Amino acid sequence: MKAAGLIIVLLTGGLLLYATQDFPPWGAPDSPASTHVSPRYLQKATEETAVPNIVTAVLADYRGFDTMFETTVIFCAGIGCFVLLRIFRQKPEDRYYRHIATEITLHIKGGRLPNKSREFERIDTLWTPYDLVIKTVCRILAPFIQLFALYVIAHGHHSPGGGFQGGVILGASIILIAISHNMRTAIARISEKVDNLLMAVGVFIYAGIGAVCVMLGAAFLDYGNLSVILFADEIMARSHGILGVEIGVGITVMAVMISIYNNLASAGKQDEGL
Amino acid sequence: MNDHYPALLIISPLLFAFLVSGMAWIRKGLCYPLALVGSGLCTWFSVRLLADVLQKGVVQYRLGGWETPWGIGYHVDTLNGMVLAVVSVLAFINLVATRRSVSAEFPEKEGAFYTLYLLFIVGLVGMVVTGDLFNLYVLLEVASLTSYALIALGGPRAPLASLNYLFMGTIGGCFYLLGVGYLYIMTGSLNMADVASLLPGIYSSTAIWAAFTFCMVGIGIKMAFFPLHGWLPNAYTFAPSSVSSLMAPLMTKVMVYVMIRLMLSVFTIDFTFSVLSLGTAMVWLSILAIVTGALLALAQKNLKRMFCYIIVSEIGYMVGGAWLGNAAGMTGAILHILNDALMTICLFLTAANVHYRISGLELHQLRGLFHRMPLTMACFVAAGLSIIGVPPTCGFFSKWYLITGALQAGQYGFVAALLFSSLVNVILFFRVIEISYYGDMQHPHGHGSPAGPRTEAPATMLAPLLIVSAGLVIIGVYTGTIVTTVIDPIIPATLVR
Repeated sequence: MKAAGLIIVLLTGGLLLYATQDFPPWGAPDSPASTHVSPRYLQKATEETAVPNIVTAVLADYRGFDTMFETTVIFCAGIGCFVLLRIFRQKPEDRYYRHIATEITLHIKGGRLPNKSREFERIDTLWTPYDLVIKTVCRILAPFIQLFALYVIAHGHHSPGGGFQGGVILGASIILIAISHNMRTAIARISEKVDNLLMAVGVFIYAGIGAVCVMLGAAFLDYGNLSVILFADEIMARSHGILGVEIGVGITVMAVMISIYNNLASAGKQDEGL
Repeated sequence: MNDHYPALLIISPLLFAFLVSGMAWIRKGLCYPLALVGSGLCTWFSVRLLADVLQKGVVQYRLGGWETPWGIGYHVDTLNGMVLAVVSVLAFINLVATRRSVSAEFPEKEGAFYTLYLLFIVGLVGMVVTGDLFNLYVLLEVASLTSYALIALGGPRAPLASLNYLFMGTIGGCFYLLGVGYLYIMTGSLNMADVASLLPGIYSSTAIWAAFTFCMVGIGIKMAFFPLHGWLPNAYTFAPSSVSSLMAPLMTKVMVYVMIRLMLSVFTIDFTFSVLSLGTAMVWLSILAIVTGALLALAQKNLKRMFCYIIVSEIGYMVGGAWLGNAAGMTGAILHILNDALMTICLFLTAANVHYRISGLELHQLRGLFHRMPLTMACFVAAGLSIIGVPPTCGFFSKWYLITGALQAGQYGFVAALLFSSLVNVILFFRVIEISYYGDMQHPHGHGSPAGPRTEAPATMLAPLLIVSAGLVIIGVYTGTIVTTVIDPIIPATLVR
């Protein structure tokens, strides 16, 4: 079986390489890829969409429909992880609490103490020592990371970036909090319910903007027609439409990152984890 | 609004999927009604679209308002109009039919389940409606990801089966994407019609041949064409019953549609049959698929598993028919997409109903089932007759076209394989019928009386099954009309009549 697999892989690779001999030379200016569709993007994207970054214009406008489904794929991944990993029925477990004033740790069977208490603080069963430096640095860094993420999303029209990258950075900032403190601290910032709602809200914004275009009588995702409600001319409306969908993408990507991390790290219990 | 049907039929289930997902955290009770509305709207729009296409001819839609080679275009003719209607209607029927088993099997995750369900419909419908090669890939990913998650929701062995499917499916998707990449490098376009117009000059290029091969192998994996079918039986057997009755009829058939679309509208008949001359080889492969599928089905002791191998065999029918290289074969293949979807959903809904009552589908557990669930078993018999190919049912007519095509093409092996698998199907179904009609009840009530208590499945599960099995006969009766109005217009004139 292994030998057969090897032979198939070699054959496939050989076929792939053999077929490349007919390819136009790499980066050739007269190759079909650079003479057929792309010239129009290069020449007209900026004047048609008011977006200097042509990659953004192609991804979010000319082929915005694909990008919507790519966001949907990410949403599917989040929902898939939730469906497969999340465990709702839990046996009561042992829990550890630290008395804040005296730093004495209590081991309680069955988890009877309230989660929130002034005197006691819950700590993970796999307790890691309290580290002031890491916690403080991460807490100070997080807002700046988030600010940068917002910049990446908003500046996608001009520089490399956009919803996917910005969303990943946003999600990473929350995951950083979860890693440096503990998962409960991160979940206290963005609860599971809010996170799951955000997952759907982001893609809904994207598809919703497209649907608004249909309601205004244009084709799906034809942002030009948003000029009626955005008080801008058609080209600026396209630019704003692109920003709108990028924000949607950013929200979904962030929420999915957090959801997948929480479910994986806590083995679906969303209780305590790395 | 009329102009927007192609977009609406895909954005309505999409938007409702997100609504359902959010509603799961606000009011759980609303999830199912919302899913029903989303799927219902999709059905409504696709049936209206089919009516439009039949009346006015091809419908084009430009997403984002861009002209086609630059933006993404939808292209709906009678072929995908028909497949759209089949997919959306059957998905809706299945949604109604399996409501009870869903709430019994995963009460806590209903919201997420219906979200995935709707997104799966979006993926299938999008693959069918699109006229763009890359858009097709993205939607293939949507459909695949949701199906992996849905299948893994089944019993304890489901996650492993799903993982296996994930590996195979990802490889299939990659192959297709590689093919599309090669096509893009050679033509610079992703629009199907545009690629078709650019290709004729470079048919002889090995890169195009490789692109074709990779696309076909990728799709072959996703449709479980014989040597690549390994993932299917486990995945569909261990999936929850509500999922297998959604996926088994639709996923593989949509992939057959994609294959036929590539053959007809992208690579064109000319290239597929004259330049490549792969026809005979593909027909022989499908003969192998039909015979092996039938034999493996014979070896199964579990009802659902038996159905899975019947699917493998039926895929052989469609692929073989499409590759016969004449109009009759192509007609048979396209007609069989419709018929097989109906027959398969009928079989799997029967399995779902039986499973709901006796929670087990091993053949020996089916004893006395005719007395306990007479209506369900009547539908099972109808589906069986259709798969065997008994005249008033639709299965007969597509088989008729396939055999005519095979005789025209001189492919007697294909004729023999069709007849052989029909005979095997007779054995398969009569074995089940014998067990469930003549076999004693497993737990007889009363003194040796064969009639146990009637425990028919609840009405919401039974009515859709009855509708589907009535459809088997109705479609069969109207086969002539379907062929002349729907299938004939899209068969290219270059095919031998």
